[in-house]
Amino acid sequence: MTEAYIAGAAMTRFGRREESLPDLIAEAARGALAAATLDRPDALVVSAMNPEEFIGEGNFASHVATYLGLSRVPSLRAETATSSGAAALFAAYAAVGAGVYRSVLVVGGEKMTHLSTPRVSELIGRSIDAYERSYGATMPALAGLVTRAWMTRTGATLRDISLVAVKNHANGARNPYAHFQEPVALETVMESRLVADPLRLYHCCPISDGAAAVVVRAEPASVRIAGIGQGMDYLALRYREGFTSFRATQEAARAAYRMAGFGPERVEVAELHDAFTPFELISMEDVGLVPAGKAVRMLAHGEAALDGRLPVNPSGGLKARGHPLGATGLAQVVELCWQLTGQAAGRQVQARVGLAHSIGGLATTNWVTLLERVE
Amino acid sequence: MEPIPASRCPRCGRLCAPPARFCPDDASQMALTEVAGYGEILSFTTLHSPPAGFAAPLHMALVQLEGGVKFFCHGAETRGLKVGARVAIEAVDQVYYFSTLSLGERALLFWRRGGVRAGERLSAFARSAAKRLTRHGR
Repeated sequence: MTEAYIAGAAMTRFGRREESLPDLIAEAARGALAAATLDRPDALVVSAMNPEEFIGEGNFASHVATYLGLSRVPSLRAETATSSGAAALFAAYAAVGAGVYRSVLVVGGEKMTHLSTPRVSELIGRSIDAYERSYGATMPALAGLVTRAWMTRTGATLRDISLVAVKNHANGARNPYAHFQEPVALETVMESRLVADPLRLYHCCPISDGAAAVVVRAEPASVRIAGIGQGMDYLALRYREGFTSFRATQEAARAAYRMAGFGPERVEVAELHDAFTPFELISMEDVGLVPAGKAVRMLAHGEAALDGRLPVNPSGGLKARGHPLGATGLAQVVELCWQLTGQAAGRQVQARVGLAHSIGGLATTNWVTLLERVE
Repeated sequence: MEPIPASRCPRCGRLCAPPARFCPDDASQMALTEVAGYGEILSFTTLHSPPAGFAAPLHMALVQLEGGVKFFCHGAETRGLKVGARVAIEAVDQVYYFSTLSLGERALLFWRRGGVRAGERLSAFARSAAKRLTRHGR
């Protein structure tokens, strides 16, 4: 299999944006092409979770191709719910690895803030099992069920899950691309209103607009895609044997490490899917960055902070950078590329290997991507 | 005890409730069966901004039923509830609720369920109360 490299990475600022989704996508895509000094890719892979309902556009890969002026470039859309960006990177990686294309532009985005919160919640909630949805289950509701069971099993406290938000907002405050660029106090998080008990408002990621893009090439570049793995779990929460850790993450990590030929001991920075803050702690253990049961202590000791032993979510994560669904999996990769190549001014960490972890649905289709700086 | 419709995989024995057509593990056609509506709370939450058609606060739980199958249902109240609590499941108008509740709390539960006319709520509550009385009488 041919090696695949990331030759260029770019993203828009996330947040409430006035621009249309095609314009946000164009900003990210043109940035990535410029960084890769490439005019025309061999192919285009687009990720968007639900442009049909969010903005009323279908046939979205063709839509983006024509809008970008790449109307003759073979284009497709990749979709695995909230992890679609990672799925799009995988499609490009596989195509370049198989020798089908030499360069692929991967771009993902979502436009959400023009809709009401209940409507956005309903649209995202369609990735939940229909029976559970018929009982009013939304993403925060299922995350609340997972969080309470996890807190009961591990003894983790409200303070523990709130410290994740404090850390990620502190990182977001150093990231000019983040939705939230203000730190928050622990008390603010702990006293914010209940959303889905025990989850409070500041434990949940915001609704954001934005786009992110990378160029994947066969020609050697500064960052190598060392491995990408996907893991699956039942759509229905009630089918799972346990739901205080995510099988989909564990299997994705196993596949990615096997492909890379190394394990978690080489990872020096991670972007994890903290759509709900306890998920960051659960995921740190699921991807093997800390032994089971140790994530809470590691966070409390500051080891996951920007200046810690293993910085987690230096971008601010979904919590502070924001979560425009189809863009998120790629924004994690963009942040890691910048971190690995010394382009993360204001929040730079020292790392050669980075890990990105993306959750699709309520952890039904997850991805782990390993990136390595080429010396 | 409320019998709950379920399905069993003839190959691996896995149970699903409500019934599924195919076993999610080995793609076998599942056979219909029933499980007893009694079990243990695995987790619960209260949703304060529920979707359209539901009134806030919306209580929901995952219950491990006798025999091991996990079940998703509503509840009238979660105050004082703990993971591991034993609960009974009851169906009213094909909606399942966990409870160990007094008559008054049950009246409140049916009243709160959104998207239903007052008369229907009253008749649902009456049927639920009658069901419980006959069960107690046995």
